[in-house]
Amino acid sequence: MSLAAVLAIVGFTLLLPRPRGRSVAGGIAALLAAATVFVVWLDTVYGHPMADRVGTVLFWLFSSGALVFGTILVVQRNPARGAIAFAFVILSTCGLFLLLAAPFLMAVTIIVYAGAIIVTFLFVLMLSQVAGPSNENDRSREPLFGSLAGFAFAGLVLFTLYLSTSPQSAAASAEGAIPGPPEQRLPIRVLAEEERKALREAVARLDEAEARLGPEAGSRDDRLSYFEAIRDMIATVVGSSIPTRDGSLRLRLEHQPTQPGVAPELLRKDEQAQQVLHRADRVQQLNDRTFTAVEGHLIEGKPDRDAVRAQLRALREEVLLLASATELPSRTVANLGFVLYSEYLLAVELTGVLLLVATVGAIAIARRKGATP
Amino acid sequence: MITLEHYLVVAATLFSIGLVGFLTRRNLITMFLCAEMMLQGVAINLVAFARYHGNLQGQVFVLFIVAVAACEAAIALALFLTLYRRNRSLDSTDWQTLRELGVPPAVDTEPLPPAPPETPDIHLPPAGIRPALTTEEAARV
Repeated sequence: MSLAAVLAIVGFTLLLPRPRGRSVAGGIAALLAAATVFVVWLDTVYGHPMADRVGTVLFWLFSSGALVFGTILVVQRNPARGAIAFAFVILSTCGLFLLLAAPFLMAVTIIVYAGAIIVTFLFVLMLSQVAGPSNENDRSREPLFGSLAGFAFAGLVLFTLYLSTSPQSAAASAEGAIPGPPEQRLPIRVLAEEERKALREAVARLDEAEARLGPEAGSRDDRLSYFEAIRDMIATVVGSSIPTRDGSLRLRLEHQPTQPGVAPELLRKDEQAQQVLHRADRVQQLNDRTFTAVEGHLIEGKPDRDAVRAQLRALREEVLLLASATELPSRTVANLGFVLYSEYLLAVELTGVLLLVATVGAIAIARRKGATP
Repeated sequence: MITLEHYLVVAATLFSIGLVGFLTRRNLITMFLCAEMMLQGVAINLVAFARYHGNLQGQVFVLFIVAVAACEAAIALALFLTLYRRNRSLDSTDWQTLRELGVPPAVDTEPLPPAPPETPDIHLPPAGIRPALTTEEAARV
């Protein structure tokens, strides 16, 4: 790790533009050596990522692309070429965004950065093109100390990351010696696989349940037992209130956490686990209420069919939400819009104001002194 | 399996490369692009955490980062234009009169390499006049 940092410092020192002592070949060789040492270190510390071939190859492609073009941007004499390299950094970052299930952000980043910022700056660069060597392009400010500061920073961050994720520290915190923050052992699986499966099965049955409300779907006892089966299926996970008992979710999360490497108090304090438990409580209440109504409808015909159907639909939505909790929703873009305009409405408004102020400010600053309006 | 840490390492490295560029380069526009690259490193970090927490809060933050970066680009461009009009250079060291009191000025000791000699323009013979043939050309015709 420190070897990689030292090699990177040497490489950047050799490559940064200055009048004397710049050696492109030596710098590139040092950077290549640094990258090799770095990859070997990453591979030995965090394991061989070979299970998901395509994703793995794309990840290495995009991340190395981002880092290589970032390096080119920093060491390039010609600022116009630097801007092109920055565009490639943006494209690589967008690839990483896609791998991380953020398609909308990818589009936004390409449009804003590659489309607007880069083009504007290329115009400025064309306006201010200088011929021959110049102070701003061919000199660097303290090449050695600059790279030293940057890579010392990187080394510190990576060392902290290494300390917080190394096998020794995980083992130590499992014994209770070092209680670490929960984000170190992500992702926490709040829902067990069989619970998720049971909930999805219940959703599938609820889809068909509406057809079974009418008398044409079989005898009353058959229909009653069908609905009771669904209720029990949901109740095993979230618990029920009529015979008061806990569901497997609460039992597992609060009383006997079985997740390896996660301390019990950690899971209880975890915000995500709390949210899931909260949602499970809601499902439990809705479950009991709905199936009381269904029984009433089937035996006495008391709540009419439309009301029961509406309740069943509401229950289905809630169960589906619980089943897919802690997973990123597949309709990321729609959900992003929903989150943006419900939870973060004030922030969106503030951003709009900020953009307006920036536009007015840019025009006011760039206006020529003494120009007639 | 690509884990959260792989993304965090890439993001931290991208951030520090941007930091090196911002500290060492003297062209204002390159400095600005390096700052934007640092923002990209932070954005990768946030999106990776959003992915591994399974919620969208991180992505919302990145949207705000992009909006702020756009504002920053507009203001920075206007400032660079004003500075460029003042003394026809994008060198940030030209403005070191703004430094703190008691800090010695940065002086460039090494001379710049000489400018490459300009290639002379090609002179074409005036149109309508046949150039005189050299002896070699005459032998070929």
